[in-house]
Amino acid sequence: MARSPLGRFADERLTADSYYPRPYSRQDAYPPDDYPDDLVPEQRPAVAYQPKQRPAKSRVDEWMEVDFKFGGSRIKRKAVALVLLGAPALAPLFFMLPALVTLNSNTFSVSVDDTLGTGAEICLFLCLLVTPVATLSGQHWFVPLRRWYGIMMACCAIGDAVAASITDTFAGGVFGRLAGHVFELMGFMMVMLVIPLLITSNPWAQRKLGRYWKRLHRLIYVIWGLLAAHLMLLEGLGVQSGSNGSGFAGDGDPVFHQRFYQYSACSLFLLTLRLPPVKRWIAARQKEGRNWLVYLTIAPIFALFVFGFIFILNEELFKGFDSLTEHPSAE
Amino acid sequence: MSATYVSGTQEETRAGGVILVIASSMAAVLLIAGLAYALGTGQRHMAALAAAGCELSLSPSGLPCTTVQMLQSEYTEILTPDGTQLAADRAAYGANEEKNLAAAEAVLTAEVTTERAFDIGLAGITFPPAITPIAKALFMADQARASLTAQQAQSSSLTQMRSFDHRVQAASVAVQTQLTLLNKALDRG
Repeated sequence: MARSPLGRFADERLTADSYYPRPYSRQDAYPPDDYPDDLVPEQRPAVAYQPKQRPAKSRVDEWMEVDFKFGGSRIKRKAVALVLLGAPALAPLFFMLPALVTLNSNTFSVSVDDTLGTGAEICLFLCLLVTPVATLSGQHWFVPLRRWYGIMMACCAIGDAVAASITDTFAGGVFGRLAGHVFELMGFMMVMLVIPLLITSNPWAQRKLGRYWKRLHRLIYVIWGLLAAHLMLLEGLGVQSGSNGSGFAGDGDPVFHQRFYQYSACSLFLLTLRLPPVKRWIAARQKEGRNWLVYLTIAPIFALFVFGFIFILNEELFKGFDSLTEHPSAE
Repeated sequence: MSATYVSGTQEETRAGGVILVIASSMAAVLLIAGLAYALGTGQRHMAALAAAGCELSLSPSGLPCTTVQMLQSEYTEILTPDGTQLAADRAAYGANEEKNLAAAEAVLTAEVTTERAFDIGLAGITFPPAITPIAKALFMADQARASLTAQQAQSSSLTQMRSFDHRVQAASVAVQTQLTLLNKALDRG
């Protein structure tokens, strides 16, 4: 029977099933024994494609995804919750608004560092709090707040630096006012680092930077460390009044008003829950269904976080309302 | 191999547990110490107020009070520049009162402006009740001196202008007396 170039037999039709690809591997192309082993590239075992596993949605996540009717349109519960939780981050800028509108240089020079600086610290801690809370609760609906708090932290820090560069009384011009003292230099470096993070805090930049985006945004940890140095140099490690301590504490609690202590109390929780062995331990206990053990173990460090955070909030609200009424307190 | 892997994992999670227990114990100790410290807040608050010379009537509990240092600072802020300006004006008046009417009038007008600025600044300070009468007396004395100086500045001749000198001097003595009293009350020596 005559062979056809189209098929084994002239009357044979080519079908999709009749196509057998030749093995492309060089090992298959030659008899195994004839091929030098050292030239054979190490072949990784074929791994079936597995899409990146998304964490399972918790019941709260599912509840948050449900939308409801509001004024003719449908809004997700999550959107409302995110707005409510995100709105307070605007408070530091809101507190400074009257002084900005009236160009009140006195309010700016006296309390902008307390209002916006403390505001930036609060936003930083809230931004850093999102991941540990997601790890512990297994919920992810609030993760978008991480970006929002980060953006507000950057806005507060930049606002603080701009105001300080104009209204501070330190010698040496703008640069002297921004970096004339070591604690100011630390703050200035934080602001310089926060600028690229702010610029790239959008989905477009995230897409363009690809895997480098995450590396870049790890600068937040450098900022976190610089904040420790900034606060340590600002008030020292003591609790006395004056240059080494929290200043005049009329309520008799100088220890609780020491900014570095507040920072440390909050950072212990945020840092511990970021350590890989701790995360593994938590994941293992959660897998065993012993969430109660996780909550019991982290309760003291979380309580310490809340304790420190309350005093930072107290500082922000006290100074913020002073700024809002344009009667700044130099306490 | 799988046994080694499992054993390694257990080891790793155990390390995490140890870290967490250490951190939590430390946090618990700090919290207990903090709460114990917080129990003495009231006493420390009173002691801090007393040490700083706070007026209790101006300091609701838990809020910073108006301390003597704060009052001193506010008072010095207005007294120092105005005092310097007034001394310069006085010297300029002394140099012109015998020969240049226009210059002397200009100096006296500037003096009135400085005195009134001091009065406005003084009225803006919230003094504690014990010091308020002294501050009010100083305000009145300075107002009287400013009025007299304003009249002096409207003199039509050098002779008429110099005729005010004694009265202005007497008014200045009254101001100085109240200033001394206020300095004493504010512990400014």
